[in-house]
Amino acid sequence: MIWRVAYHYWLNIFNNPNQSLMKTMINFRTVLLLVAMVPALIFATGAHAKLLKNIETDDADIEVRVFPAKGNVLLLGFPCDEGKSIAEEKTAQSLADDGVEVWMPDMLGGFMLPKVKSSLAEITTETITAIIAEALKTGKKVYLIASGPDTELLLRAASEWEEGHDEPVSGAILLFPRLFKSTPVPGETPEYVDAVGKTHLPIMLLEGGRTPNRWGLNSLSNELEKSGSEVTSKIIPKVRGYFFKRQDANRSEDVVTSQMAGLIKVSLFYLGENEI
Amino acid sequence: MMRNLILGSSMFNIFKPVTLLFVIAGLSLNGVANAANLKPVDGDLDAPALVLKDLQGKTHDLKDYKGQVVLVQFWATYCGPCRQEMPSMNKMMVKMGDTPFTILAVDMGETEAEVKQFVSEVKPEFTILMDEEGTSIADWRVFAAPSNFIVGPDGKIKYTLFGGVEWDSDELVEKIKAVALR
Repeated sequence: MIWRVAYHYWLNIFNNPNQSLMKTMINFRTVLLLVAMVPALIFATGAHAKLLKNIETDDADIEVRVFPAKGNVLLLGFPCDEGKSIAEEKTAQSLADDGVEVWMPDMLGGFMLPKVKSSLAEITTETITAIIAEALKTGKKVYLIASGPDTELLLRAASEWEEGHDEPVSGAILLFPRLFKSTPVPGETPEYVDAVGKTHLPIMLLEGGRTPNRWGLNSLSNELEKSGSEVTSKIIPKVRGYFFKRQDANRSEDVVTSQMAGLIKVSLFYLGENEI
Repeated sequence: MMRNLILGSSMFNIFKPVTLLFVIAGLSLNGVANAANLKPVDGDLDAPALVLKDLQGKTHDLKDYKGQVVLVQFWATYCGPCRQEMPSMNKMMVKMGDTPFTILAVDMGETEAEVKQFVSEVKPEFTILMDEEGTSIADWRVFAAPSNFIVGPDGKIKYTLFGGVEWDSDELVEKIKAVALR
């Protein structure tokens, strides 16, 4: 953008040799101002802010994308995406700009696993808890976040952490959780994966309004509450499940995706977080 | 041991196919089923109440259909298999011949405008019921779409079926005709 402004400025000068000196000076000042703003603009877009951090355990070497922030809240995601997730990265950067630090460990890459649901079972407890421990070492309040089938990993991580450690994780956000053990039979109460109903973390559930899964929110909430979790659920109108991962996203989904950071901050608020 | 690096953008070049796979995997819950997926219901299971209005505002009560075999389907306009299978449901009604048979297709919580748009495109020739509040969805314990219930002439649920299916297949039509003879 800077270069385009500069280009048009000089083009204007060349094409209008009779332009008054005053107008030229004003335009020149504008360009100087914009040039001076370059570092600020780069900082604001966060182009330089994302870092990589490695966490080594006996089982794996996990690469964590870190979006540092000065605030007291750290959001630890389990993207399980082999290091790719553009919408999540934009959201993470946006949150970091607002003071929420975000960590995104590449669990599949660390274990060299394919992107299939069964891979989740191959990710070891020790590795998950090592990442949580590393996050807590920052001294920030740690919240967990995951989407779709990866929410199973989050719940396992939470319960396993709670079993062996005193230092608390503060809460969890589950985006369109997919936690059925098998396809739900019409007319029967669905069965959930074993990780459901084991943690007592406060949980926020977010589900799209245009997916049948929204009708399972009450049932899932009830199961999650059995282990002592306080569960809040919200339906996001006009979007399907996986809305921020879709290539055929409609306008509503694009809009909500662009506002994901706000949605997550609201979720943190519902989880009792007041420092955002 | 930790190291900090600045990330490049080239790593995202293969993002699109991976995302597509992820979405497809996610949508697999709405996959296509077949007649073998027709699951018999053990025992005498009364169908829950179903009293809803159709797109013309007429109230339908499942109880009024006693004596007929009724396919109660829960569907949504955003459900791909639902859209795909509806033409076969039209053909199925013809194939059922003299068997007393009705389809009541309950839309899952969408607006009338959304459903009318869908109907104008897909042209279902059976009754579409509206349940904007989702009351019946909870009563019938539906968690996915399409979810189907075959209700016998006695008002009891005989089969359930999840997923899209070719409803006019001979195998399926014969099985549902047999329900009327029990």
